[in-house]
Amino acid sequence: MNPLLAQFLAEANDLLASVDDGLLQLERNPGDPELVNEVFRAAHTFKGSSGLFDFPELTRLTHAAEDLLDAVRGGRLALDSGMADDLLAAFDLIRGWLAHVTAHERLPATAGQDAAGLITKLRAPLGGETVATDQGQEPSAVRRIDPPPEWLAPLGTEWLIETAAWLSTTASTLRFVRYLPDQDCFFRAEDPLHLVRQVPGLDRMTVIRPEQWPPREEYDEYACLLSFVVATRASTGELEYLFRYVPDQISIVELDGAAINRHLEGEEAEDLETVPAAAPDALHVDARLAADARAVLTAAHRTLAVGEPTGTQLLALIGSVTSAALALGVPLDLTGADREAVNAAVEGVLGRAPIEPAATPPAVDHPVLAALAAPPAATPAGAPADLPAARADDPGGQVGTRVLKVDQEKVDRLMELVGELNVAKNGLTFLAAAAEEEFGSRALSRRIKDQYSGMHRIAEELQAAVMDVRMLPLSVAFGRFPRLVRDLSRRLGKTIELVTEGDDTMADKDVIEALGDPLVHLVRNSLDHGIETSDERIAAGKPGTARLTLAAVADGDAVLVEVSDDGRGVDPMRVKRKAYEKGLISEEELESLSDTEAVDLVFRAGFSTADQISDLSGRGVGMDAVRASVEKLGGTVTMRSELGSGTVTRLRLPLSMAVTQVMVVSVAGQRFGVPVDLVVETVRVPAAEMGRVLHQDVVVMRGEVVPVIDLARALQMPWAPDDSRDRAVLIVSVNGQRVGLLVEQFHREVDVILKPMEGLLAYADEFSGTALLGDGLVLLVLNLKEVLGLAARAA
Amino acid sequence: MTRVLVVDDAATVRLYHTSLLQEAGFEVAEAANGLEAVEAAMTTPFDLFVVDVNMPKMNGYACVETLRSETVGTAAPVLMISTEDRPGDADRAYQAGANLYMVKPVDAERLVRVATMLTSGKGPAA
Repeated sequence: MNPLLAQFLAEANDLLASVDDGLLQLERNPGDPELVNEVFRAAHTFKGSSGLFDFPELTRLTHAAEDLLDAVRGGRLALDSGMADDLLAAFDLIRGWLAHVTAHERLPATAGQDAAGLITKLRAPLGGETVATDQGQEPSAVRRIDPPPEWLAPLGTEWLIETAAWLSTTASTLRFVRYLPDQDCFFRAEDPLHLVRQVPGLDRMTVIRPEQWPPREEYDEYACLLSFVVATRASTGELEYLFRYVPDQISIVELDGAAINRHLEGEEAEDLETVPAAAPDALHVDARLAADARAVLTAAHRTLAVGEPTGTQLLALIGSVTSAALALGVPLDLTGADREAVNAAVEGVLGRAPIEPAATPPAVDHPVLAALAAPPAATPAGAPADLPAARADDPGGQVGTRVLKVDQEKVDRLMELVGELNVAKNGLTFLAAAAEEEFGSRALSRRIKDQYSGMHRIAEELQAAVMDVRMLPLSVAFGRFPRLVRDLSRRLGKTIELVTEGDDTMADKDVIEALGDPLVHLVRNSLDHGIETSDERIAAGKPGTARLTLAAVADGDAVLVEVSDDGRGVDPMRVKRKAYEKGLISEEELESLSDTEAVDLVFRAGFSTADQISDLSGRGVGMDAVRASVEKLGGTVTMRSELGSGTVTRLRLPLSMAVTQVMVVSVAGQRFGVPVDLVVETVRVPAAEMGRVLHQDVVVMRGEVVPVIDLARALQMPWAPDDSRDRAVLIVSVNGQRVGLLVEQFHREVDVILKPMEGLLAYADEFSGTALLGDGLVLLVLNLKEVLGLAARAA
Repeated sequence: MTRVLVVDDAATVRLYHTSLLQEAGFEVAEAANGLEAVEAAMTTPFDLFVVDVNMPKMNGYACVETLRSETVGTAAPVLMISTEDRPGDADRAYQAGANLYMVKPVDAERLVRVATMLTSGKGPAA
C-alpha cells in the first residue's frame, strides 16, 4: 500500500476513536467548548487529509460534519442528540468505508449513495446546503478552490471581472471546463458540440479557434481543431458524468471570486491572439514558476496593503520578494528598504515582468498519488535527485513525533523470534550435557553453561522489552463501551451512566483483544437484565439514573477487571430454582447451596435467567461462554451480587499471555504440558493407597477425597501403571475442583511460547496449543477441562 | 542543505509535505503544532516553514506571529497551507507574517517549485 494511504488509515483510526468519544461526552456536557473543539478538530483533520486522495465522497461527508460542528463551536447551533446521532452515523459510515479502503484502496462503489442522505441530514440544521446549486444535486459540494488555470482568458476580461465580483459577494463558486477534443474525435463517434450543448447550468461558453489554421491544401475537414471553454453552475460530479467518455480531453476547475481575481491580476495583459503556440516542456515549467513567483509577489503586495510589516516580518517579506523577482529574471537589491520602497519594487516587477507564455494544458487533477509513486519529474532549479534526504545525526529532524506507530504484525513477529531465541538458547544446555557425557569435557561443558547464562539474561531482558511493547492500556478495551452503553440504553429506555476507572492499567495486547467479547457480553447482560428502568428504580427508592462501572486494576502479574452495576442484583433463590428446573442441580443441592454458590450457577452451561430472550443478550450464548473465554485466557471469573443493590462481575486475567509456564509430564513415553497455574501439587502415592469409589479411582489427601483420572486412558494411549512403583499423580485445580491426573513421570517446568493449534489439529480440543522445546521436540499443552470431559466419557 | 520545518497536526498531511520536499532534496523536520514548531525554531535555524492553520495548542497564525516576533526572530520565508478558503483567511496569514498562502491539497509540483524559489540562493541544489 502507498505509505501515504497507510498513514492516513492509521491516523483515521485515531480520529474516529476521538470523534466517537468526544461526541458521547458532548451529549453529557453539551456546552463544553473544549470538547466541541476537539471533535471539530478531528473532523477538520479528516477532511484535510482525505483531500490528498481521490475520495471525494469522504471529503464531502467530513466537510458536512465539519460545518455542522463549526456552527456548534461558534455557538450558532446547540448540539442535540439527533445531531449527535447523525454525526455518529456519519463516522460509522466512514469507518465502514475505511475498512473497504484498507482492503481495496478505494471507496466502495455505493459511497456516493450512502453518503447523500447523511449529508442532507447534517446540513439540515444549518438551513440546508451552503452552496446554492440549481439542480440540487451534490448539495454539499466541497468547495476546493483550484488555482486559476491559464485558459480562462477567452471568456473575456470584462465578464471575468464581473463574475469574480458576483462570486465574491455571494461566497459561491463556478466550475470552469476546458474541452480540448482530439483531432480525430469524429472517428470515435464523439460529438464535441453536442456534448458541450448538454452542459447544465451553462453561464458562458467560448469556442476557441486554433492559433493558426493549417494551409488550405493541408486542411482536413474531418479533424476537429476547435476547443471550448465553459463556465457553469453545474457540480463537478455532474460535469464528470457528462464528460465521462472523454475524461482525458477535459479539465475541470472550481473557482471562486478570489481565484478569478488572481488570474486577472496575473494574466490581465494576456491576449489569446498573441499567445505563441504551445510551449515545450522546459518552457512549461518556467511558465508555472513564473505564475508562482507572481503569486508570491501578489501576496507581498497584499501583505503591504492589509498590514504594516516591520522588523523580521519586513525582512522576510523582502526576502520572498527578492526570490520571486529573481525567478522572474529581475534581480532586486532591497537591503534596508522600507515598506514604500518594497511596495514600489513589487508593483514594478508585477507591472513589467515578462508575460509568461501560455502553458500546455495543466496536468490532470490529483497529481498527488502519482507524484509520490513516481520519481519526481524534472526537479526545478536542477536539484540533484540523489541528495541524502536527512542525516542521521541531524539535530533538527523529527521534532514532533517521537512515538512510533508500529504495525501489530511486526511486534508479533518480534515476539515469535524471541520465542525462537529462547528455544535456541535452551539448546545450549543440551549441548553442555552432551559435551560432558559424550566428549568427556567438563571444562567445555562449563564454558557452554557460562555462555548460556549470559545469553539467558539477555534473552530474558529482550523478552521483557518486547512484552512491554505489546502492553496496551485497558482504555483500548473500554473504548467501545461509551457508545455501546449509550445506544443500548436508549433502545431499552433506561438511563445509565457509564463510569470507567483504571483505563491506564496496562496488559498484553492479546489479553486486551480477547477481553473484548466477554466484556461486551457482561455489559449487555447488565444493561439488559441487571439494570431496571428509571421508573422501577425510583419506585425502589434508587436514583433514576443507573450506574455501570468498568474498572481495571493491576494485581501482581494479573489484571482485575470488574463490571459492576447498581441494578436489581441476582436473586439466588430464583437462580437455584431455575437451575433445578433445568436439571443443572440436584434437589439436594437446591437445599444446600449457599447464596454465593447459587450466584455462581449462572456460569453453568445452558443457564439463562431471563424469562424471555431479549434481542440484546439472548443470542444463545450465556455466561458460560464468558467463563469459557476467560478461562481460555488463563483467567477466572466470579460474580458477587446483592439482591436489590447490584452485581459485580470480576475477571482476573494474566497480564500477559505471551509466555506460559508449563509443567512437563509424560505418559506412555509421550510428553505433555500442563499450565502451571492449574497445578496444585505433585504427589507419589503407593499403589496400595489408591482407592476406588463408585468406579472412580481416588486418592485421599489430608482427609480430602480427590478423584484421579488416568491421563493415558483419557487420551486413548496404551499405557498401564507399573504396580511395583508409586503412582505419580499431578493434582490440578479445574473449575475450582481438585482432580488428580495419573501420569507416568513428572519433568521440569519450562517457559514456553504457546502457539495455537492450526489446521486440522485445531479441532483437537483436548490440546490448547503447542510449544517448541529446547531439544527441538514439540510439546502438546493440555486443555485440562476438555481432558476431564474426555475422561468422563471414556469411563 | 536547506532545512524546512513542516508544521501540521495531521500526520498524513505532514507525511505528504515531508515526502515531497525530501524527494526534492530538502532536509525536513516536522512539528505537530505551533508550539512544537516554535520550540524547534528556537533551537535550530530553518530556511523555510510550511505551516498549517488549524492546529491544537497553538494555531498557525499565532505560530507565524511568534516565529516573526523577538522570541524567535526568524526572517525565513513562511508558506501557510490550509483547508480554510474563506475570504480573509489569506489576509490573516499575511498579517501574521506569512509569505504565501495556499489552499490544501497543494499541487505536489507547485509546493516543491515554490519552496525552491523561496529558498533560492540556498535552494536544495546549493
